[in-house]
Amino acid sequence: MKQSHHVKTVPSYCYNCVAGPCLMKVKVKDGVACEIMPNFDAEGIHPANGRCCVKAYGAVQKTYNPNRVLTPMKRTNPKKGRNEDPGFVPISWDEALDTICDRLRAIREKGLIDEAGLPRVAATFGMGGTPVSYMGTFPAFMAAWGPIDFSFGSGQGVKCVHAEHLYGEYWHRAFIVSADTPHTRYILSFGANVEATGGTCAVTRHADARVRGVKRVNIEPHMSITAAASSEWIPIKPKTDNAFMFALLHTMLHEHKRDELDLAFLRDRTACPYLVGPRGLYLRDTETRKPLVWNLKTDSAVPFDTPGAEPAIEGRFRIEHAVDVGADDDVASYADVDAETVMTKFVDHLGPHTPEWATAICDVPAETIRRIAREYLEHACIGETIEIDGKTLPFRPVAVTLGKNVNNGWGAYDCVWARTVLAMLVGALEVPGGTIGTSTRLNRPQSNRLKSVTPGDDGFMATNLNPTDKKNWEATPSGRNAHKTLVPIVGNSGWSQALGPTHLAWMFTRNPPDNWPAPTYPDLWFIYRSNPSISFFDTEEMADCVAQMPFVVAFAYTPDESNHMADILLPDATDLESMQLIRMGGTKFVEQFWKHQGVVLRQPAVEPCGEARDFTWIATELARRSGLLEGYNKAINRGAGGMALKGNDYDFSLQPETAYEVKEIWDRSCKAATAKYSHGDDVHGLEWFEENGFFVVPFKQVDWYLYPTMVEQDLRFELPYQERLFRVGQELGNRLHEQGIHWWDEQLKEYAALPHWCDVLDTWDRAVEKMGSDPKQFPLWLISTKSMQYASGNNVSIQLMNEVSQNVRGHGRILINTATATAMGLKQDDRVELRSPIAYTRGQVALSEGVRPDTLVVPGQFGHWATPYAKDLNFPSLNKLAPMSLDLTDATGSGADMVRVSVTPLGDAT
Amino acid sequence: MTRYVMVADLRRCIGCQTCTAACKMANGTPPGVQWRRVVDMEIGTYPDVKRVFMPVGCQHCSNPPCLDVCPSGATQQRDDGIVNIDYDICIGCASCAVACPYGARYLVHEEQYAYGDRPTEDEKTNYNNKYLGVANKCNFCAEKIDAGVANGLTPGKDPEATPHCVNSCISGAMTFGDIDDQESNVSTLLRNSKHYRLKEEEGTNPGFYYIWDEA
Repeated sequence: MKQSHHVKTVPSYCYNCVAGPCLMKVKVKDGVACEIMPNFDAEGIHPANGRCCVKAYGAVQKTYNPNRVLTPMKRTNPKKGRNEDPGFVPISWDEALDTICDRLRAIREKGLIDEAGLPRVAATFGMGGTPVSYMGTFPAFMAAWGPIDFSFGSGQGVKCVHAEHLYGEYWHRAFIVSADTPHTRYILSFGANVEATGGTCAVTRHADARVRGVKRVNIEPHMSITAAASSEWIPIKPKTDNAFMFALLHTMLHEHKRDELDLAFLRDRTACPYLVGPRGLYLRDTETRKPLVWNLKTDSAVPFDTPGAEPAIEGRFRIEHAVDVGADDDVASYADVDAETVMTKFVDHLGPHTPEWATAICDVPAETIRRIAREYLEHACIGETIEIDGKTLPFRPVAVTLGKNVNNGWGAYDCVWARTVLAMLVGALEVPGGTIGTSTRLNRPQSNRLKSVTPGDDGFMATNLNPTDKKNWEATPSGRNAHKTLVPIVGNSGWSQALGPTHLAWMFTRNPPDNWPAPTYPDLWFIYRSNPSISFFDTEEMADCVAQMPFVVAFAYTPDESNHMADILLPDATDLESMQLIRMGGTKFVEQFWKHQGVVLRQPAVEPCGEARDFTWIATELARRSGLLEGYNKAINRGAGGMALKGNDYDFSLQPETAYEVKEIWDRSCKAATAKYSHGDDVHGLEWFEENGFFVVPFKQVDWYLYPTMVEQDLRFELPYQERLFRVGQELGNRLHEQGIHWWDEQLKEYAALPHWCDVLDTWDRAVEKMGSDPKQFPLWLISTKSMQYASGNNVSIQLMNEVSQNVRGHGRILINTATATAMGLKQDDRVELRSPIAYTRGQVALSEGVRPDTLVVPGQFGHWATPYAKDLNFPSLNKLAPMSLDLTDATGSGADMVRVSVTPLGDAT
Repeated sequence: MTRYVMVADLRRCIGCQTCTAACKMANGTPPGVQWRRVVDMEIGTYPDVKRVFMPVGCQHCSNPPCLDVCPSGATQQRDDGIVNIDYDICIGCASCAVACPYGARYLVHEEQYAYGDRPTEDEKTNYNNKYLGVANKCNFCAEKIDAGVANGLTPGKDPEATPHCVNSCISGAMTFGDIDDQESNVSTLLRNSKHYRLKEEEGTNPGFYYIWDEA
């Protein structure tokens, strides 16, 4: 007899990587999730038409992974360390929550801030903010709690596209930078592995772009997935992209005609005409202190915003009277002073950086550099326009994208500056076809980057820099990574601390540097979807750092290398078992810029396994048991759960004293969201969303671009000259030196108005020497790359991901150039040991012609020793070999994933 | 007449293996069995290298070598071109696996699970032990196509009547349809692009086309 089955299909989302959310449906048969599939209801709305990537297909195995932690657990072995068995024993939810909340209440009684001025509670979340889309109303609990230290990093920020985050947002509200792929025609990609990590929207758009003939040149040391799918691959030496880009700029400025540039854009939308004096500062009007420009109509210097003025873009002039404003209000007055425009300085600055100069550094032929410069200019379409939503905008279909390792660590400032300036030169910044930003995280509101633009000083956007003046500089850090103290540009938003130099929190807590207040350990540390013992630098040391934490509450999926040091494990209901409503669409990370915006529901397709509970339930219980229910509910009402529950015309607020069920909270969120987006015309609750999955309204395509906002507010991009950052750097230096701090002096050198080319490879050599080693002993460069299957760590224990990844060259291996390998007597799959100045890792080689002879590549972040399934893969790890070092940290606090290594064949030895 | 074919646009494919995973999930194939997978190929010598991603699987040939060698008649060819296996008849001799020039067929004799020797909950529900001991391969999701057609849907156009790999493809590389219909999606696509097929010289007349600018 044929068995009848109960089958249902449930809409949901995946947000396991920063390119989400992607939409999906879950097929459930007799209460068991058995299949993931696209949500085609989103055809024509979601740029990838409702599809999700390979990662999402792992969600079923993720749910039924026999290695899951399915009950709260407590540690019975008080000793912590890699070689200590935690002795986890199952406990009830009551015991777990009461243990945590007793401790939280005791902390509240002592005071939320300790004697060192640091929060007693800390929290770490991984993968670029994605845990927020799985932690339900936990942000409301954190808001109700008070100060929390987010300094202890696991790689997000610091190892991410860090310099791009901070400078991109500073220059054009581009926390993330993207090509305007649907409109562009020519893309220079410096290792931006968008096919692996850009998500479904990027993959769809770039496939369409390829078919319509877009040329993408991929410049990186190995042939990544993206390089494979590009028109041209240029195998550049690792970390020399700054030389290539400076040479591109040199070529465009010194070997091409000016009318190949967008002179109108330079004159009206940038700082190019501003006059610079002898101290490298703007010359300013003596009365108003506005920066001066040379008015060609009157042959005199006038404030930049003088109506009817025609500023000279280039030239050297003599100015009758002016002042400049240096660090700490150090004002200098001038009479008959020589000045040059920013443009003139900029052109001179690039003078030495010829293609011939660059070739010796980056190993790319000068002729190639010249050709790329020429192609870029030829594709720029200066003067052309396009109509979008009834508005006429400049059309400049050339874009420059950067990948990790190019936009973090030393040399990143050079690169992010150079790429933004490349866009600036042809007016391709924030216009259709060009280089655009997709989100803000340091400026408010985060949900609308255009609205975050307000007029600031000197004709530029208002900035959000942490103060560096004597009165307001945060001399005593309020967080363990001292982001407000050390990194002015990271600002002071809810994200800023996690974007500070998060490795310093670990380093300084163990080993404070000179003249620095010794940070204390937090009394309690929450960790969720984060595994610093695997994903950060120097993972052996990192695991030891984690082991120093006095009391760790880990929301645990499986045992892993970081929750190995936990005191309490809490099993949160995972992707297919829990509920949350989040925003989607508009413009957001990577290539998520849509013609719609709205909200999408994640709902339980199945009951949670074991004792796993919905995160919103956990958050409500934590709030209730620690006496914070009122503050928690008020935070939810204000929008800490994603949507504010009260608006002008609607009120779905929670009563502060009541502990609500999970479904009730999200039902109100659904109603508030739809009321907001539809202006009250189309309000829907949870039941509607459980059926329909998402709700959207149109989003104007013209709002993808910042240019119209800049024009409307008559603002200029603060480019190419960094006069403010130069001054801020000097002030920061003054503050640090007043405290006797000189260990940040190398970083201070990065605060240059025009970047000085950083010899990154030499910096590495000197760092190796400082570690007591000889660089010649480590002749090869090891870098990493991502794969779509693992571009966020939570798939390492999923068998399906490992199985399908076997089809991808280099998965779990060390990619090595075939000739290099052969010269060492190595064959495919032979075992080798890679050794850096601090550690070694072992693995099998994968021979490839698509790798530079001097470079090795280890995909992903493996090297597990505790995570079930992953620990038996025995895959090599770059993170184990990479030092956590101040010498390898740039001014924004980031470091790159690259290491000097030696290779030793192991033969039959394991 | 109807002949269903698959078209893989190699300009679009990025080897993400989403189709590999989607197929496994939908069909409940055991670990190691990949009816659809994407090969990652490298051609040339540094620095003149090409890396190409190529979805492969059963080519649903109109002249299939597997059909000729099958001693039991389990391998069958439908009127719409789909080459199918009747698992109830197959004796697991593997002659078809040897005969197939595309390596498209699998044969698994022992139960294997994703995590050790016991099935997970989804494997208990999804796992299809009808594949044990018999040849198995891509069948263009024949059951799904048939159900869709019975409901008046068009394979390759309506997701409910289209193979899972095609539905899942995030770059739009995979297209499925009836090549005998001159106005179908596949016919239009092939008419407007350069394409080739694998091992045509073997005389198999495969029903799997690859779009490639240098074809």
